Amino acid sequence: MIIEINEQEYQSLNPAAPKLVEFYSKTCGPCKMLSFVLKDISKQKPDFPIYTIDFDENRDLKEQLGVKGFPTMLFFKDGKEVSRLEGLKQKPAIIKAIEALV
Amino acid sequence: MSNKIRFTNQEHLITRQNRAEKKFLAAFAAEKPTFEAPMVILNPYLINPLGALVLFTTPEKVAPTLTVHGKRYAREDLTHTFAAATEHFLPVLGLYEDFANKVTISLPDGRSTILTIVTDKLPADICRCRNIQATLDYLGDDLMFLTPAGKNLPTAYDYKGDIRWLLTENTMFDLKRMKNGNIVTGSSRFCHMPYNSTGMWELNMLGKVHKEFRMPGNYHHDHFEMEDGNLLALTQDFSRDTVEDMCALIDRNTGDILKTWDYRKALPMNVGGSGSQDAHDWFHNNAVWYDKKTHSLTLSGRHQDAVINIDYETGDLNWIIGDPEGWPQELVDKYFFKPVGDLSKFDWQYEQHACVICPNGDVMCFDNGQYRAKAKEKYIENKHNFSRGVRYRIDTDKMEIEQVWQYGKERGQEFFSAYICNVEYYAEGHYLIHSGGIGREDGYASKALGAFLDMNDPRMELRSITVEEKDGVVLYQLETEGNFYRAEKLPLYHGGDNLVFGDGQLLGSLEVTEEFDTVPEAEEVYELPPSFHNVLIEEDEDRFVFHGKFEKGTLVMLCLENERENHHYFINTAAVVHLAMCSGAFLEKDDRDVKIHISKLGLHGEFKLKLIINDKKYQTGVTIYCP
Repeated sequence: MIIEINEQEYQSLNPAAPKLVEFYSKTCGPCKMLSFVLKDISKQKPDFPIYTIDFDENRDLKEQLGVKGFPTMLFFKDGKEVSRLEGLKQKPAIIKAIEALV
Repeated sequence: MSNKIRFTNQEHLITRQNRAEKKFLAAFAAEKPTFEAPMVILNPYLINPLGALVLFTTPEKVAPTLTVHGKRYAREDLTHTFAAATEHFLPVLGLYEDFANKVTISLPDGRSTILTIVTDKLPADICRCRNIQATLDYLGDDLMFLTPAGKNLPTAYDYKGDIRWLLTENTMFDLKRMKNGNIVTGSSRFCHMPYNSTGMWELNMLGKVHKEFRMPGNYHHDHFEMEDGNLLALTQDFSRDTVEDMCALIDRNTGDILKTWDYRKALPMNVGGSGSQDAHDWFHNNAVWYDKKTHSLTLSGRHQDAVINIDYETGDLNWIIGDPEGWPQELVDKYFFKPVGDLSKFDWQYEQHACVICPNGDVMCFDNGQYRAKAKEKYIENKHNFSRGVRYRIDTDKMEIEQVWQYGKERGQEFFSAYICNVEYYAEGHYLIHSGGIGREDGYASKALGAFLDMNDPRMELRSITVEEKDGVVLYQLETEGNFYRAEKLPLYHGGDNLVFGDGQLLGSLEVTEEFDTVPEAEEVYELPPSFHNVLIEEDEDRFVFHGKFEKGTLVMLCLENERENHHYFINTAAVVHLAMCSGAFLEKDDRDVKIHISKLGLHGEFKLKLIINDKKYQTGVTIYCP
């Protein structure tokens, strides 16, 4: 499942649950492409939560998480960032990072 | 809004040159021109407008002498005697532009034929000599060859600053003469931004390309001829997330890659960064030198301010020349040198180019000096900085280093090049120092690299200054317009075969271009893309290049489709910050202009080319043929 969230909603997520948090920008071609990649992954792994956050509208959160550009994908488990992918990536790289969480 | 695309299909230069050669050889065989009335072909290989070919027969085997007469007086004449033959094919090199050149061919029996070869004016935007200090006594028959750092052209200047050789192809990076007399330089064929071309060209001075050595990781910056004729060439692996961190040994006959060196195995990537370093281009290898005595490779890494030496066989690190600040202590202790001698004159090199190993083992390089510090708070502004040629003596037993020569520090910002440049060792005390990347803004050293300066702004200026010094005395200085990557002093003719006939060869291979396995949802429309996108598709024999203009944030994908299979290539329209631009040949003025090269390797058959722009898939009307 893919859910668009903001900073407040991010803070209320279950910190322990494995998840992918993607920072994107509406002005970014690679982010638009990544949205299709994540859709494909979501079809393949419908139970794995993917959260998308607008980089430009959630500046405090991106500062807090040390996100410097977009797209950036953060992979969390047990409240900790396990890995991070910066830039557009293809499905295998993202699935590998997800499978390392679960 | 109108809809439009442009499409060109041009054969490879080698194919066009092969055809041109066959045509003039057939004409020669049919006409059998005599010594008294020879056949003359200006620019026989299509890319050297200051070269010609004179063809004639003689009943007896004789050795003709060709003289290209100087513009002013006989002392300027260029003369070369060719091997004895009955069929003669004499390359005429070093013609003056826009001039009725007088050329004499003489035979040992005293007979001579005088020809007039009229050349055209060279393109208006070529880089002219601004100042030259040189004498015929010093330069003789040599020309100073400057290789482009942008959209300028490889150009050679004589002792008066006149252009006597020029290729109309925007070749890339260094140009070096090989033992067989040919020159090897980077091909002009674009592959990957910022400046990676398909490979290297081996060509003669007339411009005939004998071989293109294609490389899957492309060619950038430098190459080196080994004793057996094989070539070291700088490259990378595009399947990785880093660039400019590999070297390959190329078989000179087949183009095969015989061996590679991966610097990621020798160095940590996240330490010792120069002011221009980023994670992607962490080392920025801009020069390679093989040293037989130590059987090692010396490599210049601009983005670690480091000249490193690795074992040829194992690739293991031997030593590092550079400011050790910021490097882990265990590496400093093991690999770095301690300065000795007159430390008041000692400076480390920063963001250097063009390492050279002297016969006695000393190490030379062009110390660009960009930032001239490791820590950000100590960075030196370009207008307060200097560039120089420098020679270090190293003792690898004691791990000590002494600066034994430099030229350029005393000239300050006037000689400052933030990028590119080279040094050459001729003999003890006799060196070339080429500061070819000078950029000025309002008369001061510019903050931006020359490749990024807007030359429509009259406050901006690009210059290239090449100096030769002997025993501390400057005997030669050439100042030209534009920026030039390197300088090499060479005579036009050499002692070997100056012209060899036969088909040029396309060797090696390009990469299989990475495809994208996710295809965005898009509605197929039966129209061309809007003309705003200014789509241009250039098809070549072994690849095609797609050009288009897109606003930042546009989703763009190129699709190759036929009944059996589809292939998809993502086109990045995001802003890209280039921290290095050693050649701006492929750089577009408008950063919305993007281009992508697609290799035909791995593709077979005919494909319709379509273009996804955001939520629409457009037709282009172009069919790509893959053998």
